[in-house]
Amino acid sequence: MNPAGIPLKEPSISAAAGDTGQLERALIDASTRVPVLIFYTSAVAWLILGTLFAGFVSFKLHSPDLLSDISFLTWGRVRPAHMNVMVYGWASMAGMGTAIWLMARLCRTVLRYPLLLVAGAGFWNLGVLLGVGGILLGDSTGYQWLEFPSYAAIILFVAYTLVASWAVLMFRFRRGEQIYITQWYLLGAFLWFPWLYAAGQLMLFVVPVQGVLQAAVGWWYANNLLFLWFGAIGLGTAYYMIPKVIGRPVYSYHLATIGFWSYALFSSWTGMQRLVDGPFPAWMVTASIAATILTLIPVATVGLNHHMTMQGYFPLMRYSPTLRFTVFGAMSYTVFSLVGVLISLRSVARYVNFTEASIAYSHLGLYAFFTMVIFGSMYYIVPRLIGREWRYGSLIKLHFWASAYGIGLMTLMLLAGGFLQGSSMENPSLAFSENVETILPYLRGRSLSGILLTASHFIFAYHFGLMLFGLGRKSTVPTFLNPVEAEGAGAH
Amino acid sequence: MKGLAPLFLGIFGTFAFSWVGLTVIPNWQIGHLNPQSDEEGTDIYPMPQSGMVQQGARVYAANGCIYCHSEQVRAEYAGADIERKWGDRRSAPRDYIFERPVFLGKMRMGQDLANIGARAPAEQESPSPGGGGSPAGSPAGAAQSPSPSTAQPKTQAAQPPESAAQQQQPATSPATSPAVAGPSTGIASPSPAAAPAAAASPGAPPSAGPPWPEQTAGLPPMYSAAWHHVHLYSPRSINFDSNMPSYRFLYQARRISDARSSDALQLTGSDAAPEGWEIVPSYDAKCLVAYMMALNQSHPLKDVRSTGAAAAASPAASPSPAPGGQPPK
Amino acid sequence: MNESTPPSEPRSGQGMDYSEIADVQDVHAAVQREKREPRVGREPLSIWLIAVYGLAVFFGGAYLGRYSGNFSGEALDPYGGEMPTMKKAAGPQGAQQAAELSPHDRGKKIFAANCQTCHQANGLGVAGQYPPLAGSEFTTGGSRRPAMIVLKGLTGPVTVKGQKFGAAVMQPWDKTLTDQKIADVLTYERSEWGNSASPVTTEQIAALRKELANHPNSFTEPEILAAPDDELPGGAPAGAAPPKPGEAAKPGEPPKPKE
Repeated sequence: MNPAGIPLKEPSISAAAGDTGQLERALIDASTRVPVLIFYTSAVAWLILGTLFAGFVSFKLHSPDLLSDISFLTWGRVRPAHMNVMVYGWASMAGMGTAIWLMARLCRTVLRYPLLLVAGAGFWNLGVLLGVGGILLGDSTGYQWLEFPSYAAIILFVAYTLVASWAVLMFRFRRGEQIYITQWYLLGAFLWFPWLYAAGQLMLFVVPVQGVLQAAVGWWYANNLLFLWFGAIGLGTAYYMIPKVIGRPVYSYHLATIGFWSYALFSSWTGMQRLVDGPFPAWMVTASIAATILTLIPVATVGLNHHMTMQGYFPLMRYSPTLRFTVFGAMSYTVFSLVGVLISLRSVARYVNFTEASIAYSHLGLYAFFTMVIFGSMYYIVPRLIGREWRYGSLIKLHFWASAYGIGLMTLMLLAGGFLQGSSMENPSLAFSENVETILPYLRGRSLSGILLTASHFIFAYHFGLMLFGLGRKSTVPTFLNPVEAEGAGAH
Repeated sequence: MKGLAPLFLGIFGTFAFSWVGLTVIPNWQIGHLNPQSDEEGTDIYPMPQSGMVQQGARVYAANGCIYCHSEQVRAEYAGADIERKWGDRRSAPRDYIFERPVFLGKMRMGQDLANIGARAPAEQESPSPGGGGSPAGSPAGAAQSPSPSTAQPKTQAAQPPESAAQQQQPATSPATSPAVAGPSTGIASPSPAAAPAAAASPGAPPSAGPPWPEQTAGLPPMYSAAWHHVHLYSPRSINFDSNMPSYRFLYQARRISDARSSDALQLTGSDAAPEGWEIVPSYDAKCLVAYMMALNQSHPLKDVRSTGAAAAASPAASPSPAPGGQPPK
Repeated sequence: MNESTPPSEPRSGQGMDYSEIADVQDVHAAVQREKREPRVGREPLSIWLIAVYGLAVFFGGAYLGRYSGNFSGEALDPYGGEMPTMKKAAGPQGAQQAAELSPHDRGKKIFAANCQTCHQANGLGVAGQYPPLAGSEFTTGGSRRPAMIVLKGLTGPVTVKGQKFGAAVMQPWDKTLTDQKIADVLTYERSEWGNSASPVTTEQIAALRKELANHPNSFTEPEILAAPDDELPGGAPAGAAPPKPGEAAKPGEPPKPKE
């Protein structure tokens, strides 16, 4: 054992050091260390890059002459670069890191075939790097959410099959009879993503569909990615973290089952509502809008389940970073779904389509829900991998509030601005340029929220870096957000 | 959940259900559309993209124009697009069958571009050093009939012979004052929009075009190819409030050899090139503008009702094979 | 809430605590203090939730039923209106107007719609890519060769006005354009941009089309050059002035192509 106290392989501990459950978990955690940390570190690096791109994108909308005229920094290229870095770089990799750890824990077996994961991470990083570079140099495919040129997409797909194979193998070797809720979601996510990605690439690039169907396939892909990949990982993580941290069982098995299947069934049919009133047969758009309305079923179900699980334990959010981030994320999931229903109804879409409101919707899902849940899981998992606690509770607090206010402000600015933008577009006596004037103050507000988010991410990255370099706290007590006044006020 | 099999089946089934429902069935329904044609088998609309237009579409994709511009016109009951003269009719699936990628777009930080080619002024003939150029654009509100402009006195080369019967003469005089050195629209990129385009747009009352955008003095006619180049080079010289990025990297500065080349951009004020230099578009810029000039959905479609006096005023149906007057879209 | 090592005094702040010794216990402290793995309870569904489900299904289903336009592929309009059919008006009108246009002007429109993106409005083409038509020996020579090219298309390298082209392929237009349209566009090309060659008539093209009926593929340059560079038989008498741009067919001129 090296002086830093971090086990290199399997730790040697005496048999008396705790019950077998703990021993087992410790071994599992130790085995997941390298792959999960690789995914997390890559993810945090992409997060920083993506955040810088995001700031650029946001500022350029109200200061268009900023660094203009440079081809690889033109707004139309940095914007997809930002999105792809965040989606495939940060969110996917952090999500996979968490999912790997959760799978190992829930399969109750030590992580096998770590090389699959390490190779997967390497290829994935390569794919994202090539893809983002390609976009900035002008090779974007022109399809939203699938802008990576083919040379990057194929690498991503290869990386992905490595990770998915690992997941299937782990599942094959799991122990225990019951398959816990989180695993349904994770299994779903690991299977849905490659099918989704393959279908999207096939129908757009290999055997391209005709005309407007390309847009239909594109948005089907985008929404399914949001729900069946990110949403599934996010919900699965929340289903693990919340009961785990508070030590209570999830409220109801039936709710969990209904929640899972209705989620899979209905949210996969959304996507076309983003193309409302477009050149499509009406039934396609209507089907998606109806599906969006029906997603209220899983939202209500999962929300109720979590709420009842947390009943009486909300005060713990004061102390536990994991709980705070996760519950924030889970609540945001509800808000995100409600906003989604609202803006997809045709009567509202008339005013909201083609505006910044859809950006608000995407960010609510990807950031307020998914990213916050993942932050919570990282705050839980990283100490278990490194053997140190997070160093500064104050930094965690700062991270939380900067993120929360940041995304809250962004959502507000973009939804409000979006409605106003849409209303002014609907008024034909207003010149189009007035449209831009209307939304400008809201774009500036969004840039302000971007500053908050940037600060938050840099704080997190710094804090994570400290952990990575072994500079965390050596302690048996976890890092709480606020000092624990008395014993028994809720351990981690 | 105990059983693995039901779990896997369910995971597969729910995905397959949405994949089949939202992609396979629509592909079966509208995935193999053919262009429409009239009885003789001509007047085919739409036509496949070719040449510079196709390359222009790639430039459009590479530079992310889709993130601010849409290319779809909504029906009257769904939005004010038609009232804004962004099109005479809503877009239909058949309009896009030859586009790859399809740029329907989800944002309108900038205008909808589905019919931007149709809003171009009547076609110029050949590059005219006099800088003339047609009077300012005749957007959708224009022409009734493509009668050849024999009636029009041919002023200097500036006056395009095919100016449609009515033109949009905004309050400010056509900007293409011959005083401006260099031609206005004589750019290599095609301006197919032309009279056929003007002809193809039935409906809106002839001279009552939209009160905006204002034709700024000193600039080429609205939505002409030259105008697009100036707009791409320096959007704020055309509209001060615009937040569109400038695409100067698509243009090159070079020394004027003998005379200004016909391609050179007409720039004013601080954007203008220094003495002895001119700004010319690169091939990519020309292709991009060619693509935009080809964006024209004004050709009537049987699938969709056109607004206004469709019947009488659709001379487009006939002599011009040119649907909305354009080659491929 | 169980901590295996309860703190001896309340910790008022966080921060590095160097007095703690790193030993085996600490490595697993996080794991040790963890609660058990999550499990699921079995509370029954609440009736209110079922009511929410019912409402969602009702509204979603009603929306789906109402606005789907019968699930047809042609109904773009969700409000169930029947598909509007474009009146095929302007048929006779159009023909009328066509009659008023000279072949040159008709040809100009056809050119603008079909040829311009490659050969450009000024007929100069694009260097290396699309050959020029202005001053081109193919366009201004006899009418046979350009007519062959337009009907069947051209692939492979070609040299025009001393410059090589070969990158692009020209598609055949025999299926897309009628004889009259081909004749008109050739007439236009042969009298535009400083070209002045004889006009081409519909009958000439019709005859050529018959002649080439068994030639399925596009031509190549050698095949074109092998064909005689003469006028197609049956055209307007030599010396007939091609219509000037902008002029309608003047009465008294030699009979122009019939409709």
